[in-house]
Amino acid sequence: MAGGKKKERGADSFLIFLVLLLVALGLIFLYSTSAYNGRVKFHDPAYYFKKQLFATSLGLMGMYLVSFMDYHFLVKMAPFFYGISLALSLAVLLFGEEYNGSKRWLSLGPLSFQPSEFSKAAVILLLAWVIIRGKEENRGLLPMAGRMLLLLPVVGLVGTNNLSTAVIILGIGVILIFVSNPRYLPFVGIGGAGILFLALFLGTASYRLERLAIWRDPEAYEKGFQTIQGLYAIGSGGIFGKGLGSSLQKLGFVPEAQNDMIFSIICEETGLTGACLVILIFGFLIWRLMVMATHAPDLCGSLIAAGIMAHMALQVILNIAVVTNTIPNTGITLPFISYGGTSVLFLLGEMGLALSVSRQIKG
Amino acid sequence: MKKNRTYHKKKTVIVFLVFAALLLGLMGRMFYLMAVRSEYYSQKARELHEREREIKAARGRILDCNGEVLADNKPVCTISVIHSQITEPEKVKAMLVKELGLSEETARKRVETVSSIERVKTNVEKAVGDRIRSYGLDGVKIDEDYKRTYPYDELASKVLGFTGGDNQGIVGLEVMYEEVLRGINGKILTTTDARGVELSALGESRIEPVEGYDLQISLDKNIQMYAQQAARKVMEEKEAQGVSILLMNPQNGEIYANVNVPEYDLNDPFTLLTDADTSRMTEEEYQDACNQMWRNPTINDTYEPGSTFKIITMAAGLSQGVVDLDDQFQCPGYKIVEDRRIHCHKRTGHGAENFVQGAMNSCNPVFIEVGLRLGAETYYDYFRKFGLMEKTGIDLPGEAGTIMHKKEDIGQVELATISFGQSFQITPIQLATAVSSIVNGGKRVTPHFGVRVTDSQGNLVEELEYKSREGIVSSQVSEEVRYILEKVVAEGSGKNAAIEGRTIGGKTATSQTLPRSENRYISSFLGFTPAENPQILGMVVIYDPQGVYYGGTIAAPVLKDIYENILPYMGIEG
Repeated sequence: MAGGKKKERGADSFLIFLVLLLVALGLIFLYSTSAYNGRVKFHDPAYYFKKQLFATSLGLMGMYLVSFMDYHFLVKMAPFFYGISLALSLAVLLFGEEYNGSKRWLSLGPLSFQPSEFSKAAVILLLAWVIIRGKEENRGLLPMAGRMLLLLPVVGLVGTNNLSTAVIILGIGVILIFVSNPRYLPFVGIGGAGILFLALFLGTASYRLERLAIWRDPEAYEKGFQTIQGLYAIGSGGIFGKGLGSSLQKLGFVPEAQNDMIFSIICEETGLTGACLVILIFGFLIWRLMVMATHAPDLCGSLIAAGIMAHMALQVILNIAVVTNTIPNTGITLPFISYGGTSVLFLLGEMGLALSVSRQIKG
Repeated sequence: MKKNRTYHKKKTVIVFLVFAALLLGLMGRMFYLMAVRSEYYSQKARELHEREREIKAARGRILDCNGEVLADNKPVCTISVIHSQITEPEKVKAMLVKELGLSEETARKRVETVSSIERVKTNVEKAVGDRIRSYGLDGVKIDEDYKRTYPYDELASKVLGFTGGDNQGIVGLEVMYEEVLRGINGKILTTTDARGVELSALGESRIEPVEGYDLQISLDKNIQMYAQQAARKVMEEKEAQGVSILLMNPQNGEIYANVNVPEYDLNDPFTLLTDADTSRMTEEEYQDACNQMWRNPTINDTYEPGSTFKIITMAAGLSQGVVDLDDQFQCPGYKIVEDRRIHCHKRTGHGAENFVQGAMNSCNPVFIEVGLRLGAETYYDYFRKFGLMEKTGIDLPGEAGTIMHKKEDIGQVELATISFGQSFQITPIQLATAVSSIVNGGKRVTPHFGVRVTDSQGNLVEELEYKSREGIVSSQVSEEVRYILEKVVAEGSGKNAAIEGRTIGGKTATSQTLPRSENRYISSFLGFTPAENPQILGMVVIYDPQGVYYGGTIAAPVLKDIYENILPYMGIEG
């Protein structure tokens, strides 16, 4: 199989359809969920919706542009992007805006920017760059560890303020290295080490233990408020939901319902049926990215598609797991649907990257 | 350019499959939350969203035997403001000042307090509430409520009792029949957001209140009024501390009137009757004073009955056969029991007399003799048999029990004093009940007020029933007692109660309150008519009268006066 130029087949139209569907659904749910908070805080029910619409439009344009770029070029630029992401992450630490107790935003006039979202995309490109440059026969643990070490600066910088994003970056890293390496056994070790590390990490600080206790019985703790409100919303949805716009829990009961907990409102309004459909759409999207990764003309495209798949899947799974109190609470947004301009912008950018890969798949 | 090798693809597929499995697992989790546990979480969420406001149920009325309303409800309103819903604060303030007479300052405070709901004023006249409603101001809530009112103010205050802030009974029949009178409050359920703002789009659901049942009692407002007037009169004349009057049907225990002056105003039960300076009382002292004022001495307090209790000794002696009507006695003015000389009230003695004459004279030595003939054990058994050891079971709260010697502690001296009604204590209602049971042919009745429970339209819900026990005394003994007591009124110490053309049985009493050194007396008279077939038994108890304190002199005429007026009204002849 030869790489290089071949006849272009055009972008993956099913993926485009899925992305547009998710973006549209996201905007609808976002408006439904945020109208109350917008009205109460800014006297404008469409406040959040307008901002998100702006970011989405920008993102769609970005997606369109990126899809026409050659991903090989973008991968070559990876060290540069990675450097920028490190600089931005550092800038956040120094000059960041604090909101809800964590510094995650950089402000530029009326616009604010969340560098950690950019970091995720940069990391995917960086790993692809590193892996295709490495010797294929290099299957030892050492080079693997070396690649992971490359991620440490960004994980450290992002993790200071945003542990969950750092976990996702690490997850993307592990998955890409797993895919690039023919061996299995070391990864069982890595998995085991990861679990051990997590157990130690959770067990060593009392506030993390408290988080565990809240997870097990959210109704018994005051800090379980958000979790329990989310569960009330989910549970009261039933099989078919209360109908779009009819959630009561979004009326201030679930705090900041348009952010991390938006899925609980989707559950309340559209029921088990709607919620499963949303999961199914994400499932198709991930499946499509998997197909793309397996059909990519070269390892570079394959790794990009696999990285984006990992990013998407990890975020969807962790978000829903948190909202349903399957795992302890941690702040992870639901792709395309949760409120957050930077997030939707870079997610669409990543989709553009995936489309760019799909263009080079031989028909 | 690196190749996309098979193992890369294989591993990508593995990663995808793991993700797919996790997503499936999450769907399972969602199925559990949204199908299995849905009911639980929905319920929890509903409780969180719904605010309920009570709709007060109207409390049942209390009616007298003729259907006259003794305790009623007046519709009133509670005015509240909801800060977050007020759109025209200035108008609301002005309205509160104008309609409720609040000061500018208070009105401002109420309107500007940030709370989910701020109560401005309760017990507002319905007309005022309607007027406020007609302003149509946002954020002003007018909730309907009821306030208990007593049309006759202090009439039968110590029987009816009154209700508290939530219309719950506090004392008297109001608390005794709480279950009957109390309705079931309704609810207005509204859905609110997290700030407590009602969501008008979802409307409100109402659970209508169920009004309480009416209670019809045997008390007759007219008789009660007359008796109250008579009691007041004698209380003033004798500068007495208080006067209690009980009028009941000895055949079935129905009470027609129970006056206990001084009565208090049921519409204003927290204002003391005395001139005592309440501002200088401690909370506890004030509460004690209130409780004292609300007590019904006929039921809640015991006293030494004195000579009226000779009826019991008489019935016991006749039942046991230790005395006959024409047994002869000799009264030298005292009787020596063991080493004690117990005086007759007539120090010079009544001389030779038979048993009937002894009763007419209310001669202590005669009744001591009868008591001694019975012996402590037998006397005690009769005491118990007549029901004096147990409570009467009257349908008023807080009935006091009998304070009696222990059986083994009754020596000859104690027995002698018990025989003429001293050295133990019972309630007036207990004595009236015991005597009723003796003169009605031997049936122990339960004294009571409550007769039936009806709905507000007067449809019968329940006819109240009371226990009775036959065979307290034989009909012959009953007849003999009635005969003797008729003689007492016709020709003996009770003659001040006699009415021309009527047969009245009765017994007077003059007893001392303890300690005896204070020389405070309780004068009483117990009478019934017609003597042969008693239809109404009356008891007058005058506490601490000044001047002449003999029951026959001051208490008997009160019952006579009442009888003269109410017997024609009741249609009782003979």
